[in-house]
Amino acid sequence: MNNFNPLIHSFPYLLRGAGMTVLMAATAAIPATVLGVVLALLQVFGNRILRASVIAYLLLVRGIPLLVLLTFAYYLLPLTGIDLPPFWGVVLVIACYYAAFMSEVFRAGILSLPQAQWDAARGLGMTRPLMLKIVILPQALRLAAPPYVSLCVSLVKATSLVSIVGLWELTMASREVVERTLAPFQVFIGAGAIYFCICYALALYGRHLERRVLHGH
Amino acid sequence: MADISSDASSTAIDVRPLARRPMLEISGVSKSFGATQVLCDVSLSVAPGEVVVVIGPSGSGKTTLLRCINLLEDYEEGTITVDGAPIGYRRRGSERIRMSERDIAAARATIGMVFQSFNLFPHMTVLRNIAAAPVRVKGAPRETAEARARELLAMVGLSDKAAEHPARLSGGQQQRVAIARALAMDPKIMLFDEVTSALDPELVGEVLAAMQQLAQGGMTMVVVTHEMSFARDIADRIVFIDGGVIVEQGKPDEILFAPRTNRVRAFLKRYNDRYRI
Repeated sequence: MNNFNPLIHSFPYLLRGAGMTVLMAATAAIPATVLGVVLALLQVFGNRILRASVIAYLLLVRGIPLLVLLTFAYYLLPLTGIDLPPFWGVVLVIACYYAAFMSEVFRAGILSLPQAQWDAARGLGMTRPLMLKIVILPQALRLAAPPYVSLCVSLVKATSLVSIVGLWELTMASREVVERTLAPFQVFIGAGAIYFCICYALALYGRHLERRVLHGH
Repeated sequence: MADISSDASSTAIDVRPLARRPMLEISGVSKSFGATQVLCDVSLSVAPGEVVVVIGPSGSGKTTLLRCINLLEDYEEGTITVDGAPIGYRRRGSERIRMSERDIAAARATIGMVFQSFNLFPHMTVLRNIAAAPVRVKGAPRETAEARARELLAMVGLSDKAAEHPARLSGGQQQRVAIARALAMDPKIMLFDEVTSALDPELVGEVLAAMQQLAQGGMTMVVVTHEMSFARDIADRIVFIDGGVIVEQGKPDEILFAPRTNRVRAFLKRYNDRYRI
């Protein structure tokens, strides 16, 4: 048990790192979700040029690893004169990256609704924005909820990459503790367990949503 | 195309009720899906309070005609008006101009439509299904819309289901809610698209009874159905469509028991052979 002393002593420090991880993930997930919905709507309803632009963006973003984008932004942003604090720069990159994946999940949700729902809404005299607001999006987002939560789990884990550009969060905190204690196995077992707990809680929530979707309302 | 030689006489007979402005006027409507022409120069006039039942074989264009009336399907030629107001296209001289989406939506709000597959909104309660459009489209106060929704639910015999979600209702109950939802917009005309086709036989009666009640109340209705005995009971006029054209129209007994055209005779024979017990 003594072998785990380094982990036990540094656990509060790791938990503070985990707090930062959760804060970063939550802060990135909000704009990623909004942008994801907007990109999905543009893909479904936009004109040809808008649709082509969105598809090009999705292909580009999904074809490049997040780590490369983070490093690229780390070097590029200062050159463009955009002076963002590192936290916000990282949040921006993660949000833009995950918005591409989320938009596909939302688009699938919108397209999976039967034509009959559109017909019924149009037949009642609803304009397209109203139809989207009260008939289509509430159902599409509900259908998209389980895969969306999976993406959120992936987003939480992706924040571990930001330590590469010097931001402090759970992975960075773990590395610091390892450098101090020279106990990499114990510390990273602890860090892994914390990541697992955060993601497991999210995954459980995803399962709960899935059951709600499957069994009606 | 089958026999249309004897059709001329049928189109010459005007069976419209007298001299008021038609509630629905379809003039020369044509519609294609790709190379397939589904409606060919269809004209039909429906008087206020009249119940017109449209019959015909599968794929004859009945449903498409109904969907063109509130522009769920676009059509290439012709015009449609409801109570004198154009739906989808205006005429300016010989030119046919498409209305704006907002105007089309406003026009649709005057037409109630009930679908074969109910199409209720599954994420809303029964009450919200009925009250949502009056509140959000017509700007009615929520309390007024919900009070009206409860009245309509009572009318279709579902007062106790206001708080349920559609998934918990039977097909017949869902269809009656769909009728109430369409009526909540105070439409000038109601369109019914094979509304009993997706129902178990024992649930058909309750839906037909709701429609009958509506017809007796003076609602203008266009009904696409395969229920011939219901057509006979409810219709002021039966219109037979085949191959995208109106082949014959007339009073129910004329069409069902003394059809003038071979096509109607053949259709009714097939129908009778199929449903004879």
